[in-house]
Amino acid sequence: MAGIALVAALALTFALTAPHRAMAADEEPAMATSDTDAYNDSGENDPLEPMNRYFFELNKFFDTILLKPVATWYDGVVPEPGRNGIRNFLDNLRSPVILANDLLQGEWDRAGTTASRFGINTTVGLLGLFDPAADWGMPQHSEDFGQTLGTYDVAEGPYLFLPVLGPAPPRDLTGFVVDQFFDPLTYIYWDDSSDVPLIRFAVNGIDQRARSLDTLDQIERTSVDHYATVRNLYRQIRKNEIANGKRDFDDLPDIDNLNFDTNETDSPSASF
Amino acid sequence: MITTLTTHRSRWFLAPLALCMALMTGIAQTSASTGDDARSFVDDVSERAISIISEKSASKAEMEAEFARLLDETADMDRIAAFALGQYLRTPTPEQKSEYLKLVREFIVKVYVTRLADYNDEKLDILSAKMKGDKQAIVRSEIKFTNGREPVSVDWWLVKDGGDYKIFDVNVVGVWLAQEQRSTFTSVIRNNGGDFNALLSHLRKQIGKAEAGEISDISAAN
Repeated sequence: MAGIALVAALALTFALTAPHRAMAADEEPAMATSDTDAYNDSGENDPLEPMNRYFFELNKFFDTILLKPVATWYDGVVPEPGRNGIRNFLDNLRSPVILANDLLQGEWDRAGTTASRFGINTTVGLLGLFDPAADWGMPQHSEDFGQTLGTYDVAEGPYLFLPVLGPAPPRDLTGFVVDQFFDPLTYIYWDDSSDVPLIRFAVNGIDQRARSLDTLDQIERTSVDHYATVRNLYRQIRKNEIANGKRDFDDLPDIDNLNFDTNETDSPSASF
Repeated sequence: MITTLTTHRSRWFLAPLALCMALMTGIAQTSASTGDDARSFVDDVSERAISIISEKSASKAEMEAEFARLLDETADMDRIAAFALGQYLRTPTPEQKSEYLKLVREFIVKVYVTRLADYNDEKLDILSAKMKGDKQAIVRSEIKFTNGREPVSVDWWLVKDGGDYKIFDVNVVGVWLAQEQRSTFTSVIRNNGGDFNALLSHLRKQIGKAEAGEISDISAAN
């Protein structure tokens, strides 16, 4: 049940790309989507599993020797207000991307919230280091173009796990690339060989990893197949994010007669 | 004369009793259609769970024993275990099946006691309860934190088994736990060429790891 942080955490090591993915767990009504339904999907849709598992282990290796030690150090050395300031600053920097996606999804209220947050936090919040907007009833939410495609009923596609990026099935990988074009900072540093985007990416990753040290350890320790757990959690979290936290209880599998003694066929689709 | 008196008396007793009965059946009928009994079931389960994790003087082993008892009484373990096997539901032999049921229960107890141990004095508010068909119910709730953290949404999927509700699955901020379990269990079997014993040995290994994890947690805390 401590899945909360679990959920928040997961996105992190395994997907440094989309900040606060898991924070979109707010309950605002949104359009229901019929995205690839992980629950009814008995096949795993993971044709490149051997390669994905290889990259997964590779990422775990780099996590062990690099990311996790750095994040642990960051967590221990930088005091909490400092870490929160960095988090707020990075979130604020992402506002244009979130706004673009709010608008593309037709979420006018959420777009308004994002725009107001950006205005308030950039000024009153001292260039985004503080988040006064959240205290004034405008909590943070995240969006990305992968989610936007999801609301257009674009299917996730076969699972893909990439080095550094983590889970990046075609829909979300496309979303990641498109989001770069929504980001004003991309154009500022377009012709520059500046390290700024890279530093931003790295700090973002370290901060998110630091926020999920315990949770990710716990997931690894309590899963029978770490790779499969992450794959499933990624899909469920994405589905929830696309629906903006709205649940659809009508597409749950039929479990009325499910037990060891039922005399149904062995076909995976028949009983589930 | 005596008989008349008795009849009289019993009638006098019976009338309010009958009224009560009528009222109670009435209430039972209303609650069956609105999911009120599902609501009170979740209320009861969460209260018990919170009291188990709030008992800080209890050792991990005592906590696990308490939690195992709660699970036995309130969760539909057989159905959860069957669900978690997906398309491999009918592959285990009777011996493998009984070993599997034993391990799965132990695994869930270990995993969730570890995960739940992070919670202190939280409060669970039930938001809504509604029937899903005539044998199932969905209860939506929220964990409120005392330290000002954002509340966490928890949905309970209940299924009626012989008149009483049992927990089938729990959704924490969008993640169905039994579904996650099924996806990993089937993955282990599939990646071992359909060998059911592979799942059993993975479960045994994981239970061992959870135990080792507890030890390191404790030593870290000291």
